[in-house]
Amino acid sequence: MAKNKISEKPKVAFFDFACCEGCQLQIANLGETLLDVLGAVDVVEFREVMSEKWDKDYDVVFIEGSIGDKHAEERLKKIRERAKVLVAYGSCAALGGVNGMKNGFEIDEIRRYVYGDKYSYFDSKPTKAVDQVVKVDYYIYGCPVYLPEVVEVIKCILKGVAYSVPDKPVCAECKLNENVCLYDKGVVCLGPWTKAGCNSWCTSNGNICYGCRGLVSNPAKNQANDIIKKYNVNEKIKVLGEELMKKKIEMYNKAKEVK
Amino acid sequence: MKYHILEKKNLDCFIKNLLKKMKVVAPVERGSGNYSFAEISSADEIKCDYVPTILPPKKYFMPQREKIMDFKEDGDVKESCYIDGEKIAVFGVHTCDLSGLQCLNIVFNDKPVDHNFLMRKENLFMIGLECNKYCDEYASCALVNAHLPNGGYDLFLTDIGDKFVINVNTQDGEDFVESIKLPQASAKDMSELEKIREEKKKIFKNEIDVEPSKIPQIFEKSYNSKVWEEVANKCLSCGNCTNVCPTCYCFDMEDTLNLDLKSGERIRKWDSCQFETFARVAGGENFREERSMRQRHRVYRKFKFPVDKFNRFFCTGCGRCSRTCMAGINLKEILVKLAEEVKF
Amino acid sequence: MKTKEKNVIEIKESNWSYRKGTILNTKMMTKTEKWFDIKLDDGELGHEPGQFVQVELFGVGEAPISICSSPTKKGSFELTVRAAGRVTNQMHKLEKGDRVYIRGPFGRPFPVKQMFGNDILFVAGGLGIAPLRSLINYVMDNRKDFGKVDILLGCKSPKDMLFYDEVERWGKRMDINFACTVDKGEPDWKGNVGLITTLIPGVNLNPERTYAVVVGPPIMYKFVIAELLKKNIPERHIVLSLERHMKCGMGKCGHCQIDHPKNYYCCKDGPTFTYDEVKESKKL
Repeated sequence: MAKNKISEKPKVAFFDFACCEGCQLQIANLGETLLDVLGAVDVVEFREVMSEKWDKDYDVVFIEGSIGDKHAEERLKKIRERAKVLVAYGSCAALGGVNGMKNGFEIDEIRRYVYGDKYSYFDSKPTKAVDQVVKVDYYIYGCPVYLPEVVEVIKCILKGVAYSVPDKPVCAECKLNENVCLYDKGVVCLGPWTKAGCNSWCTSNGNICYGCRGLVSNPAKNQANDIIKKYNVNEKIKVLGEELMKKKIEMYNKAKEVK
Repeated sequence: MKYHILEKKNLDCFIKNLLKKMKVVAPVERGSGNYSFAEISSADEIKCDYVPTILPPKKYFMPQREKIMDFKEDGDVKESCYIDGEKIAVFGVHTCDLSGLQCLNIVFNDKPVDHNFLMRKENLFMIGLECNKYCDEYASCALVNAHLPNGGYDLFLTDIGDKFVINVNTQDGEDFVESIKLPQASAKDMSELEKIREEKKKIFKNEIDVEPSKIPQIFEKSYNSKVWEEVANKCLSCGNCTNVCPTCYCFDMEDTLNLDLKSGERIRKWDSCQFETFARVAGGENFREERSMRQRHRVYRKFKFPVDKFNRFFCTGCGRCSRTCMAGINLKEILVKLAEEVKF
Repeated sequence: MKTKEKNVIEIKESNWSYRKGTILNTKMMTKTEKWFDIKLDDGELGHEPGQFVQVELFGVGEAPISICSSPTKKGSFELTVRAAGRVTNQMHKLEKGDRVYIRGPFGRPFPVKQMFGNDILFVAGGLGIAPLRSLINYVMDNRKDFGKVDILLGCKSPKDMLFYDEVERWGKRMDINFACTVDKGEPDWKGNVGLITTLIPGVNLNPERTYAVVVGPPIMYKFVIAELLKKNIPERHIVLSLERHMKCGMGKCGHCQIDHPKNYYCCKDGPTFTYDEVKESKKL
């Protein structure tokens, strides 16, 4: 955590890198809580909602998006220099997110595919999460971020204490919400490997867990086959087994190199 | 002991009368063979023939997230502790879960007593329901003698065909059945009940080939068993087995602040010994680092520690841990393997 | 049975209520350890050597902290806190005059009365001196109740030494034998360099009538206990204070239960244990 004490009403800025900006948009969905948050902080830069710029130091910056080229790296480093507290905001920033899928290909192959023959004019590098470039003080995972967690982290920042992302699988929260296990329904879910903290947002609403919050620190390694063996999932899944799980996990976690 | 009779066709009337006095929760269907205790407004919603619910009824005695206190900082801090005193009737509780609640009752009566649990208990009107046959292959209630009613309820229902025999266990229970004028059970009804109990003796037999009286000795010798490694190779550390267990009560405390940073609440929430972080201290040392240690710990907390301390198994044979384990860890298999290892 | 209603019932004597106090003084003892002297509004803490308290920082959480002062010291009690986690880092921000909220004291104290009339060998490693100091100072204040007293102290480097002034005084007392060592010396350090285990063979003791009280990190226990057993000190005369994550202090929450075939909660059955009670645990 940044040593520098943040001001009473901290100057807050939002910046986006390679992302869909959906996590920033979530701020608008805070509803009434937004008013409380705005009472506690001073938003000085937020391209999605305002045109003003800030030329002094920031107390808190929220970084959305992953880092995909040299220019972005430099820009991020400059922001870090001006910020007392830096938050990796959303899965792209916190773990590379879906942009990390790029890392499964040869970089030039990707550049040619996206930019055509003149690709050499356009820089592109393997996707990095924010903490692979600069120091991160707070992590907010999720695609998109889970708002109650965002508010929790904001409170921690204001109070000056660390926020620890729960290091247990999504199942832990899903079970407490008394959902029917998706494997009971014959669908494959990444809950058993993914970090909790979203209060099983997707699975409580009938969706599977896509692993958007990244893996727990010590994920169970060889258990996918045990799970598939127990449940009545379709034949294709049975054949693919662990390989399928790995592919699914890579969707969000490729930038952090899944083993 | 008093016995009354409730005609099945009058079950809805029974529920409606309960609803006049309090909220009623009962097992309802959730799909894919799952059930849960949930609030109901009529008897149609109840599934009397159900496999143990996803979460046991302990959630009413010790909610997943429970506010322990409010605090407010204003120069000094003022805190206040309270519970919501809502009256709830829990209908259709199987004997395994009644047994589980008794285990929790023992723990929370152990000094210092847990006021939250005990006060919630006062507000719960417990209506048990007998299993005339096994729910499924995961159950092992006969092993731990939890397949028959053994207290822990106000009223207890046994299905004897087109009616329930109701065993009245408390004055509250008596007041209620009297208020709706349920007739007393006849000699014929009682012999029907007897017949069911006789029949159950044939159906419910020790589910594993291990003598319950031998279990304490098995656990004396199983601390360094290889079985724990085998189980660990499957374990996901997801905490499902403990979260669904009717006798697990480990918890964590969490402070949440309001945005004014001056007021907030302390929350007690369920925790699990299966989580990586459970036995870790702030300095980083983890005292149950391996999955094998954590799985062993869970099973020891059912068959060894409570036996030493309270002379009772904290397994009720409900089968939830095995039913819910995605990786297929099966408690009955663990017990059998341990027994084989120590060669009893 | 009452009628259907939603009412709030206050729990008057909750186990979760706090005792309130004020910080009389603080001192940074090392880079990571801060010392606090605390006076409770309701009088004495009423602890025995070896017990701990839960310190609550509203909105951050609770942390179990061992009491480092002896009950013979009246009027206030002392804590030494290492900034290790969320709560303890925040605690370091507290200063003289700030309010503190505690629950406790909790836990089984050191078996002081069994130790009466015996020789005592104290072995402290790192932060282990904090809980041990509550007993050391108790013994000093009741010196004639005990036989020979030896204190062995070890820490990483001279600048990591806690209670430096006090330790210096112990070194000068005639009625105790004192030795200390650091893992890594500094140019102006004139004392021993080496692990604490190197000090044990030199101690002259009568194993039958000696209690060894050992507090330190798990790795230290492993090696120190081996040395003590070599000296023929009986297992039940080796007393330890274990560190676990005590969350509730009431033997309920499960976090501090020792990984052991017997049912031991560190917060209730401990934190002090004799070695023969807990020796089956792989990591003390």
